[in-house]
Amino acid sequence: MLYAAGVDVGSTQTKAVVIDRERRIVGRALISTGANVTTAAQEAFAQSVAAAGVAASEVGYVVGTGYGRYKVTFGDTQVTEISCHARGAAQMFPGTRTVLDMGGQDTKAIRVNERGEVLDFCMNDKCAAGTGRFLQAAAFALEIPLDELGRLALGANKPVQISTTCTVFAESEVLSWLSRGRKAEDILMGVHRSIATRSMALLRRVGIENEVSFTGGVARNPCMVEVLDKALGLRMNVSEESHFMGAMGAALFALDHVIGAALSNPFLPGRAAEYPPTSQHS
Amino acid sequence: MRLLPPWQGKPLQEIIGLAREVVEDTDFPTVARWREQGGKVVGHFQVYFPEEIAAAAGMLPVKLKGAPLEARNAGSRFGSYLCSIVKTSLELALSDRLKLDLFVTHPICDAARNQAGVWNRSVPYPVDTLYLPQNASFPGAVGYLRGEYQRIQRRIEEIVGRRVSDDALRSAVAVFNENRRLLRELYRLRRETPWLLATDECYVLMALGAVVERREHNELLKAVLPLVRERTAPRQDRLRVIFEGGFCEQPPLDLLRALGQLCYVVDDDLLIGLRWITEDVPTLGDPLTNLADAYLNRSSYSPVQHDARKPKEVMLLKRIRESGAEAAIIGGAKMCEPALEEQVAYAKALEEVNVPYFVTEFEETMVSFENLQLQLETFVENVQFADDDDAAAPAAG
Amino acid sequence: MEATQPASEATVEQQILGRGAREGAGLLRNWYARLDAAARASEPAAYVFVMGSMAEILRVFDFHLVFPEVNSLQTAIRKVSGEYLNEAEDYGYSADICAYVKADVAVQLRGGKHPNGLIPRPTLAVLTNACNTYIKWAEIWERLYHTPAFVIDVPGPRHSGWTNQPGSEDFERDRCYVEAQLRELIVLCERVTGRRFDIDRLREVLAEANATGRVWREMVDLNRSRPAPFNAVGDGTVYLGVMNALRATPEGTRYFERVVEELRYKVEHGLGSMPKEEFRLCFVGVPCYPIFRRFNELFTEHNGNFVTSTYMMFASGGQNVHFEYDLTRPLESLAEGVLLTVRTAMFGMFFTDQLLAEMIEPFQLDGVVYHAVKSCRTVSTGLADTRRSVMARYDIPSLHIESDLVDKRVVAEAPMKNRTDAFFEALAGRRLRAA
Repeated sequence: MLYAAGVDVGSTQTKAVVIDRERRIVGRALISTGANVTTAAQEAFAQSVAAAGVAASEVGYVVGTGYGRYKVTFGDTQVTEISCHARGAAQMFPGTRTVLDMGGQDTKAIRVNERGEVLDFCMNDKCAAGTGRFLQAAAFALEIPLDELGRLALGANKPVQISTTCTVFAESEVLSWLSRGRKAEDILMGVHRSIATRSMALLRRVGIENEVSFTGGVARNPCMVEVLDKALGLRMNVSEESHFMGAMGAALFALDHVIGAALSNPFLPGRAAEYPPTSQHS
Repeated sequence: MRLLPPWQGKPLQEIIGLAREVVEDTDFPTVARWREQGGKVVGHFQVYFPEEIAAAAGMLPVKLKGAPLEARNAGSRFGSYLCSIVKTSLELALSDRLKLDLFVTHPICDAARNQAGVWNRSVPYPVDTLYLPQNASFPGAVGYLRGEYQRIQRRIEEIVGRRVSDDALRSAVAVFNENRRLLRELYRLRRETPWLLATDECYVLMALGAVVERREHNELLKAVLPLVRERTAPRQDRLRVIFEGGFCEQPPLDLLRALGQLCYVVDDDLLIGLRWITEDVPTLGDPLTNLADAYLNRSSYSPVQHDARKPKEVMLLKRIRESGAEAAIIGGAKMCEPALEEQVAYAKALEEVNVPYFVTEFEETMVSFENLQLQLETFVENVQFADDDDAAAPAAG
Repeated sequence: MEATQPASEATVEQQILGRGAREGAGLLRNWYARLDAAARASEPAAYVFVMGSMAEILRVFDFHLVFPEVNSLQTAIRKVSGEYLNEAEDYGYSADICAYVKADVAVQLRGGKHPNGLIPRPTLAVLTNACNTYIKWAEIWERLYHTPAFVIDVPGPRHSGWTNQPGSEDFERDRCYVEAQLRELIVLCERVTGRRFDIDRLREVLAEANATGRVWREMVDLNRSRPAPFNAVGDGTVYLGVMNALRATPEGTRYFERVVEELRYKVEHGLGSMPKEEFRLCFVGVPCYPIFRRFNELFTEHNGNFVTSTYMMFASGGQNVHFEYDLTRPLESLAEGVLLTVRTAMFGMFFTDQLLAEMIEPFQLDGVVYHAVKSCRTVSTGLADTRRSVMARYDIPSLHIESDLVDKRVVAEAPMKNRTDAFFEALAGRRLRAA
């Protein structure tokens, strides 16, 4: 049993990573989740194993994570994506003490120790004002492709102030500014700042400690990175591959098991069976 | 009057199922049955109301605790930054789901105190505000509160059209004493053998008391308690936690169920008003003075009462100690100012004694728990991880 | 106004006009300077609130009065509230709680540092139940400093309309309860300061409080004139600051006498608070301090003037009540006054519709502006319903907007502007149709 794998089943994409005993990524895969979550998990796992050029039987332990973690029915156990993201970020950027994970639906702030263990975490509530959703709404309102928002916003001269109340309300706020003749880039900068303000509140709740690693889909938005860097007064770690963070963390938890590093690890199947509301091996 | 469908002689699981149905029914079938028989109803807002006075007058006291429904009529009467319970409580009245003869609110918080005005402008029956003392340790508070109870009694007497005798009050006190004893027993049972009684089961059995006559509730509890003891569920190695933050708006039942699947909830403050008085109220002497004295001096705690003798964080730690909990879930309803403010003091106190805690918000109308479940799972896995690792206790929220 | 005036008249005008704003600002500056000095000298300070400050008793013991509510709104006026809120949120406070509380928490965490000077630590806190957040707030000082927090229960309105009037048994019961608590407060003050209570000094303070209250009510009523001589939001907030800081002091009374002189002069000369007062408005709620000036401009630029406000009633602690202390029975009368004023403040917040009903005619109101704020549920919870109810009963246009009193993050200026513009379009259209 030379390898371990992590499968991160997200709402839109499913990621799988295979690592060796030296924690090196030897194979990875990214596919659309689609309608059948279980199939997506299997497919991503199969692709990552194929990419690694190893046999599935050589993978000693598989950990599922992400919102569809209980659908990784071939896996050995599940760990939440908060724990996995923390672990993955600490692996990718060993100096990480704070993780900000910003996705399309939710934003999480996590404080970790040097081993990548979660010390504290905090997540946005049902309101999407501090998440990538707000960017989507602004993109829609301004009729600008989502990928271009960040670049465009960076050209702002006189940013407007957008409140941080809720996404629905903020959408009409965007339109109000537009009708008052303000430029799209100035409004967009206001939107980025508003999201940053909300994320800062989450970060402050867990406590901000350098280094900060920025993960999730929105981490690819250059304006968001700049605005957050400024608000934090430091430069965050950002990786092109941050979307593999959760799968990487899951693989690391799996590796713990493979190398038997921690026999008292709570993620052994016997104890893990106590947490989930659904069965694992169906 | 029997208000529940027949439950006598049924298996425990069925009785619990029936309790759940009644508690979750936003059409309040038991109250409707009571009214069909010509009975009158006092609706009172959270947290505490001396229900004995209403019962002695032959009225049915019903605890208003919101409901998981959309505030179609009431929503527009309130602003954006408010908790759900004030909206849905009014919704119950405006949508005629709950028909009352008197509504009583308390200035427990800044939102609740406004209900006097909003309800008064919205419903045809009388609306009253009961000012429960916030200067609770002041010796004169008992006398003042007795006067308030008497005033409420007068209002109730006007509605039922007859005087309420001291003897009627005393016998109501005896019934409620028994009810509180049985609830204490229910909680003791769960504390000592949490694997025999799930959190949501305990909750519905208790919450039934808010919508039926206490005599019937007492009968049911007396029948149910031995059945729970006879259960043979296996004991599991789960984290023992307390849930705090349910004194007013209630978390959805499904949330309690999800919580119960992750850990053993060994104590809580859900519907604390039903258990506010912690000892028997004397049945001799002046009943209103006895009730007022018990409210102030033999009682639990909540973020909405100031009492210098009972600092909330000290009381919380006592609850944790006495229930043998290993961690605390510090909840708070969304936009609930008192709960959110208290969370800070609770968190600091728990950090000092190194008890792991998870701070969260909930709303009675929540339908998706994915986020919360994810966070709870993360919390539990990290507490257990830290236990094994001997690391410091994590905090989260 | 005539184009030319006699020179002497112009000089008088120069001295008299703008006096309220100028001198009010000066008095508040001095007050903060005294607090700063008190903080450095560690002199006893009582933390109190605008609804039931108990200045009457505390002045007898020469406490410095600290109004955390005023300190907090000042952080917004000084445009630094953001930093303060962040600091309190870092400490653990939610984004959804009262920003007044959070701004004060940050002042405390900074060792009393405030943009207006150093704020003394609380020797004791005195509060009423007129706002529940007062209680939660004082619990913070209890925890930070073990400050004794004395809550005075003031039984408020039990239901709509007043059934419980002076002379009735129920009123007397409430009054006795308040009096008993005031006596207990006096014992606490004696213990904390080591000084004996002086009833004759109380009589002096009560006499001064009567004087301040009298002239305050005269001032508020002068705005029934058309055009109204002051703006209840812009100027009114300065008046409120002085009213709270210096009520029941000769300094405070003198100030309001001079303001009344100014306003009377304006009324006599037909001078309004703005060049052309077209729409007379009532402001309901708490101001938007983060954009205080701009907020008022949203209305004044349409020639709308706030001629009155509920704020001037409840934030003055119910000084709109026509009540004067009877100096022959000071404590009994003080209890009666506290009960009447504080519960009137509460009544004005929870039964605003009934208060408005009494203001529409005398102030010749054209419209009502409801400003609900996220921070203050005490004031804001019932506003949407009040608006609904008032609209159903009276033919008066209204505007309901939401923002905050300190937290700029929830102030959405652009939509606010859109709505105020539309409100004035409606007011103008209505006037046109009427003509």
